[in-house]
Amino acid sequence: MSATALDRDAAVQARVVAALAARALRSQLRRAQFLLPAFLLPLLLLAVIASGTSAARHLPGFPSTGAYVGFVVGGTLVQGALLAGLTAGIALAADIEGGFFDRLLTAPVQRVSIVLGRISASIALGVAQASLFLAVAFIFGARYQGGVAGVAIAICIAAIAAGGMAGLASAIALRTGSLSLLQNLFPIVFVFLFTAPAFFPRALLGPTLRHIAVFNPLTYVVEGIRGALHASAALGDPWKGLVAATGLLLVTTVLSVLAMRGRLRAL
Amino acid sequence: MSAADDQRAILVEDLVRTYPGGLRAVDGVNLEVAPGEIYGFLGPNGAGKSTTVRILTTLLRPTSGRAWVAGHDVVAEAGAARRVIGVALQEAALDPLMTGRELLRLQGALHGLRRAQASERGDDLLERVELVDAADRRVGTYSGGMRRRLDLALALVQRPRVLFLDEPTTGLDPASRAALWREVRALNADGTTVFLTTQYLEEAEQLAERVGIIDRGRIVAEGTPDELKARVGEPALHVDLVDPAEAERARELLAAHGECSHRRGGGLIVRMSGARAIAPVVRTLDEAGIEVDTVEVETPTLDDVFLAVTGHAATDDPAPEPSLSA
Repeated sequence: MSATALDRDAAVQARVVAALAARALRSQLRRAQFLLPAFLLPLLLLAVIASGTSAARHLPGFPSTGAYVGFVVGGTLVQGALLAGLTAGIALAADIEGGFFDRLLTAPVQRVSIVLGRISASIALGVAQASLFLAVAFIFGARYQGGVAGVAIAICIAAIAAGGMAGLASAIALRTGSLSLLQNLFPIVFVFLFTAPAFFPRALLGPTLRHIAVFNPLTYVVEGIRGALHASAALGDPWKGLVAATGLLLVTTVLSVLAMRGRLRAL
Repeated sequence: MSAADDQRAILVEDLVRTYPGGLRAVDGVNLEVAPGEIYGFLGPNGAGKSTTVRILTTLLRPTSGRAWVAGHDVVAEAGAARRVIGVALQEAALDPLMTGRELLRLQGALHGLRRAQASERGDDLLERVELVDAADRRVGTYSGGMRRRLDLALALVQRPRVLFLDEPTTGLDPASRAALWREVRALNADGTTVFLTTQYLEEAEQLAERVGIIDRGRIVAEGTPDELKARVGEPALHVDLVDPAEAERARELLAAHGECSHRRGGGLIVRMSGARAIAPVVRTLDEAGIEVDTVEVETPTLDDVFLAVTGHAATDDPAPEPSLSA
């Protein structure tokens, strides 16, 4: 294939990814069953934790971030990212069960574009969620010492993590084709979330959880978000967060592409 | 594939598909479809129609055998095959949360059209399938007939050379079915080859130039509807006379035109060797001064053909087809 033909093909596939991402985003935003977990549930948990466990900020060793909600909103961003990614997998499984996936397979598109479209939509959804959560937390007293740049980095880390979770959920959807299995994975999200220092500093976790947290990439994601929001190296390293989120995205994208190949081979 | 093979819109050689568990859904199918033809693939549920279509549309791999669509091997050149086919699968797979216009634009993008081109093509097709008024409504609010018409429009976005319609009118009311038939005929008049699966004999008879009857994964008969019907039996002429007392004389006279026998009520049945024998029959009676009350031609139906070649009716369900989800 000549360089021009390759460029043309790349441009076509870029358009395909954009169109599929727009469709995935539209479908997710129009479906209440996706909107509730992606937007409402994290806000509810934020409200419960910010009001119900605020005494934790008086514990010795608890970092100072101004209002308590300013500390826990980092966990909310990660929770939102996880749920945005999971709903992407649920939507893909619904496409497979409902036959829409066949429509995509009969089109002359690169199979990887189908996966990338879905993941791109989750990244866009992650940006929308993180912006909303930070704005709500700001209204309730959170202040971000990292300024606009810190907020932008935090949103960026959360959005990439949403793409990473979408990759994982898509891989499961492609591997199993089971909508009910994906729907039953909601509790797993909370296992991932609570084995990372999502709502408490790592230093205050119990020894076992603290040990597990070292191996959970979400630990670095949430700490990176906090570090960026509050411009505090003691809270976390934004670069580590970015690397962890990007690593998650790359690994799960490869997993979902492999799952797609496996699915096509089994046809 | 040779240059001669390239002339065929669809060529299938010894196609076999065995599902896990050992069910041979397609068991050695061979068929050819000429460019510009409407080919009817007729069979009951579970006969292997949908499995064959899924192989031809690159959604399934054959266990053995080969198939070409518009000259492209559906396995080795699947990408090229996808560029020239349009597909409307059984149970229109549409996203109920999208509007008809959005789906058409998406389909255009999937086929490499730029945004403006996709919009223009989508608008043209909405007009063609008479969905302009519903274009901005979510598909979830469409009736069955509207969904089928939209599905057809989606299959036409890229101006396919070969259009696959898998049971396109199943579950539709008679008016919607007739509208879809009109559209299929119009597409074919524009030069599109149509591969149509159906379990409705009437549909095959109305639309298809040639029909392949598939049963238990094998093609058991193939030909034009007339050829297939001729295999079952000759058309019969039912003649009622004004004066039943003339029946015996009429029978003797008509014996020269075919096997002639009395029927209940004083009429006659003439089993003819061809439709052109009708006029001579009437002329013979007229010249003999025997007044004819009514003449009716009874031809075998594809139902009769189906029963004759498979041993069961088209609506029987000989074996459940496996789940076809990809």
